[in-house]
Amino acid sequence: MWLPVLGLIIGVFFGLMADIRIPAEYSNYLSIAVLAALDTLFGGIRAQLQNIYDEKVFVSGFFFNIILAASLAFLGVHLGVDLYLAAVFAFGVRLFQNIAVIRRILLTKWSVPREKTEKN
Amino acid sequence: MKGRQVIFSLVFLVLGFILTFSFRLTNNENEAADISTKQWERDLNLRNQIVEMEEKNRSLQRELNANQDTIQGIEKGFAEEEQIYFNMAEDAEKYRMFLGKVKVKGQGVEVKLSDGNYDPNEENINNYIVHEHHVFRVINELYISGASAISINGQRLKANSYILCNGPVIEVDGYQHPAPFVITAIGDADVMASALNLTGGVKDRLVNDNILFSLETKQEIIMEPIYGS
Repeated sequence: MWLPVLGLIIGVFFGLMADIRIPAEYSNYLSIAVLAALDTLFGGIRAQLQNIYDEKVFVSGFFFNIILAASLAFLGVHLGVDLYLAAVFAFGVRLFQNIAVIRRILLTKWSVPREKTEKN
Repeated sequence: MKGRQVIFSLVFLVLGFILTFSFRLTNNENEAADISTKQWERDLNLRNQIVEMEEKNRSLQRELNANQDTIQGIEKGFAEEEQIYFNMAEDAEKYRMFLGKVKVKGQGVEVKLSDGNYDPNEENINNYIVHEHHVFRVINELYISGASAISINGQRLKANSYILCNGPVIEVDGYQHPAPFVITAIGDADVMASALNLTGGVKDRLVNDNILFSLETKQEIIMEPIYGS
C-alpha cells in the first residue's frame, strides 16, 4: 500500500519542482486533464466498492480520458467553440454521480453492521 | 499484487503531478494578474505624470512664444530707433556740410568773375569792376538752384558767412579777396549752370555790368572743411 503513496508523493514533488512554463491558453487543457483524472479515480473507487472493478478499464480509462479531454479542449480552441465546457460539464456531472454512489455505498456499509449489532 | 501496486503508483504519480502542476500554474497566473494590476497602476501613474509634464511643457511653450513676441516687438523698436538714428546721422552730416565742418566732394560748377577791361571812355571805374553785390547775386542763384557747398577763392562759405565791400577788395569772413573771384559750388552742375545761363538772368546782368563771366562745369570738386570755427 505504501508504493502508490510514494508515487503520489513523487508526483507532487515533481509537480512542485518542475519549472515548465506553458502559455496561458494551454492551462485550460491541464484543468480538463485534472478533471478527467479525478473523475476516473472516483469511478475506479466506485467500481471497487460495487465489486465490478477492472484494472485494465481503470488504467486505460485514466490515461485515455486525460488525453481525450485535453485533445477535445485543444480542438475546441482551434475551432473557436468552447468545447472544454462540454468536457467540464460531462466530467463534473459524472464526478458528482460517482461521489454520490460512493457515499450511498459507504452509508449502507456502515449502517448494516450497526443494525446487525443492535439486533444482536 | 505487485503489478497492481506499480500500476497504481504510476497512476497516482501522474495524478499528483497534474494536480500540483495545475495548482502551481493557477497560482502563477494569479500572481501574474497581481503584477499586471500593479503594473497597470504604475502605468496610470506614469501616464498621469506624462500628461502633467506635457501640460507644463505647453504652458512653458506658450510663455516662450509670448516672450518671443515681446522680444520681437523690442527688436522692431530697436530697428525703428536705428532708422531714426541713421536719419539723424544723415541729417547731422548734411548740416555739417552746410556748416562747412566736413570735407565735401562732388560734381559742380566754377564761376569766374573778373573785372572788365579798362575802357578809357568810361569815367567811373566802378562801372567795370566786380562788386560784392555781383558776387552775392551769383551765390544766391547758386544756393537757390541747389548748391550744397560754395567757396569763394577756395574759402568755404558757412551759414553765417558775411561778404563785405572793402574798397578794391571784398572781405569774406574777415579774409580779403581781390578780383578775380572764383566761386565754386558743389551740387547738380547742369541745374546750376542752366540757372546761371537763364536769359535775362545772372549772367546777362553781370555781362551788362561789364564783368567778364566764365562758367565751367566740373566732374569733381573737393572742398576742405573750415577749421577753427
